[in-house]
Amino acid sequence: MIKRNHLLWFLWTLLSVVGITVIMGFVFFGGPRHLLLIGKTTAAHGQIELACESCHTTGLVDNLTKSPKKLAAAMTKACGTCHLEELSAANDSHPTKKFRGAKKAKTRAQLNAFYCQTCHAEHVPEITRPMAVSLPQDLCVACHSKIGEERESHVGLEFTTCASAGCHNYHDNSALYEAFLVKHGHGEDFLPHAIQEFAAESRSPSIIRTALAKEDPVFALKTYLNEKQIKTDDESNEPLNAETKAKLSSQAQEMLDLVLYAKDVIAPAKYLDEDAVHAWETSAHAASGLNCASCHAPELKDSMDLVALEENWTEKPSLQVCSDCHQDQATTFTQGKHGMRFHPELAAPRVVEADGPMSVAATFFKDAPLGPITVGESARKDLMKPDAHDMQIGSCNTCHKPHEVNLEVASVEACTTCHNDDHTQNYFNSTHFELWQLELAGEGAPGSGVTCADCHMPKVEAKEGFFTSHNQNDFLRPNEKMIRPVCMSCHGLGFSIDALADPKLVESNFNGRPSKHIESIDWALKREE
Amino acid sequence: MSKIINMLVGGALLAAIPVSTTNADGIDPGDVTDMLHAVMDSDRTIYTKMIVGRLVAEHKLITATENFEDDISAPLPAQMFRMGAEAVADRTDLFEYSLQSLWPINKPNAENQTELEKEGLAFVADNIGENFYGEEVIDDLKYFTAVYADVAVAEVCATCHNEHKDSPRTDFKVGDVMGGVVIRIPLDG
Repeated sequence: MIKRNHLLWFLWTLLSVVGITVIMGFVFFGGPRHLLLIGKTTAAHGQIELACESCHTTGLVDNLTKSPKKLAAAMTKACGTCHLEELSAANDSHPTKKFRGAKKAKTRAQLNAFYCQTCHAEHVPEITRPMAVSLPQDLCVACHSKIGEERESHVGLEFTTCASAGCHNYHDNSALYEAFLVKHGHGEDFLPHAIQEFAAESRSPSIIRTALAKEDPVFALKTYLNEKQIKTDDESNEPLNAETKAKLSSQAQEMLDLVLYAKDVIAPAKYLDEDAVHAWETSAHAASGLNCASCHAPELKDSMDLVALEENWTEKPSLQVCSDCHQDQATTFTQGKHGMRFHPELAAPRVVEADGPMSVAATFFKDAPLGPITVGESARKDLMKPDAHDMQIGSCNTCHKPHEVNLEVASVEACTTCHNDDHTQNYFNSTHFELWQLELAGEGAPGSGVTCADCHMPKVEAKEGFFTSHNQNDFLRPNEKMIRPVCMSCHGLGFSIDALADPKLVESNFNGRPSKHIESIDWALKREE
Repeated sequence: MSKIINMLVGGALLAAIPVSTTNADGIDPGDVTDMLHAVMDSDRTIYTKMIVGRLVAEHKLITATENFEDDISAPLPAQMFRMGAEAVADRTDLFEYSLQSLWPINKPNAENQTELEKEGLAFVADNIGENFYGEEVIDDLKYFTAVYADVAVAEVCATCHNEHKDSPRTDFKVGDVMGGVVIRIPLDG
């Protein structure tokens, strides 16, 4: 009887160990990993929460042996992988380095902002507030408790209002800092010649197409390049010398030589769709000398072998293909909610060494990349159109019409294919939309209309010229980030601050005027007196 | 045979190279902070005189402003010093330094001053030409802390501080002690 009991216990233990190993292996490698979550993450991180090692960069051994400080530092470093560039561009008011060293010991005892997770703890949805902040709203009191004694204007203000009343942000105060308020504090609500400079340039007729329509295209293009060069060298204000003129003339000829026409198209017969060829012929791609294979079979982009091209043809080119030329756009795309599952630093699928103890489980349950998100997986799918829930977001052609010469579709229509919130719906009754319609009708100057993309994906300065940021979330965290690159193209600073601090006005898509006035500019100007 | 000769010659040469340039007790931390401060103070003085004093105040070729990035101007000497301290902290935690004052423009910066630091700042303000040295424990770590007077070396130092709207003191003159450079070296490793 005793022997039989021992045998049963042994069998029970063995089966339990095997069973648990199989279940853990299944969960760990490609199974329902969400069962291991200790709590949901914030909306954006929710998309990548199952790529655990993206944030949890320390392994099991480190977690058991390293000090809490070292583990916290590793986590903060992981945050920086995706967010440091954005913070740096915003001239972060509270970089973590502000809290390091012995000299900041007192501050750290109050608020240890040397680590991101002090304010932005994850997996705690029950205490997480907007902007993924998991600390109480009065966190500023830790360092600025005496502000009421130093500034008359701040006497009696609650510390819960510092970052919620339209005056300050913890990280990005690039449009809210005092000297900026003073400098732009007297601006009018509506600027007299409201034009978005970069959008105007982007939406103006192509210089090459315009030149080609002239009697002497080389002369026309050279003239344009001359004017641009003089504008660039504005400070010198000197006429261009003969050498520069000859160089520009040769440059104009080279640009025109690149232009391809319908007769130049190289593609397997089955893909020679008349509409597609026509759209391509009038596109910037054809004007830059890019034939079909440049995107559809990039490895064979210079090949004339139609059989080989057909064998290697990709009907819907990937993000990687577009990013070869549109690098800034692709990079920023992977930094926003639309493309973050393709961020290059995201943890790769889990693999296990062939001779590792979990290799048996790994044989059966293989991990896979996260892949594109569907609209239905969005944390705010309640604000999306139900018939778009199955749509995958993860490639350029989700929003961009292939071969389309202009970006009208990507600027408004593409957004409203999925987004269905009040702000989006009200856009079509807004002044911004009215201006966009006028611009489309040719009654408004290029850059005078305001599309969804103009505000949420603004054109920002690059090393050479500008590019359209494809990180639409960057300018919403918080919304004051729109003030400088967007609002101030057409509005004064005061109006912009008031408008963005009025949630009802935002919801109505700015139909009306701000219902309240933020006093920060008044206070800043008063201190100047 | 030739290998043996080579080994003997090599060994003799290695033995002739001094193992360390320090004495058995190491360098006195006060000497280290003095050396560090000599570098900091010289760079800071030259920036203040040759860039801000000369190009900004005298020839008016450029401006130096607090919001130098937006203004496309030169950083103020105190900002240049702070950026240097931050860059050093990016590279090493063997020492740290900062600019402190009993009359701070940036008030939260002074909130962190330790009792020893305050004592040192008062000492260098009251004893012209003297430095302050001491030891303190912060976060369970023992530090050697030195404070050096930060003097208004050019007219711009005094006028800028006197005219700043957040300055608690407005009567600085050239030669006045406006604050101090605090250098800390952890002694516990």
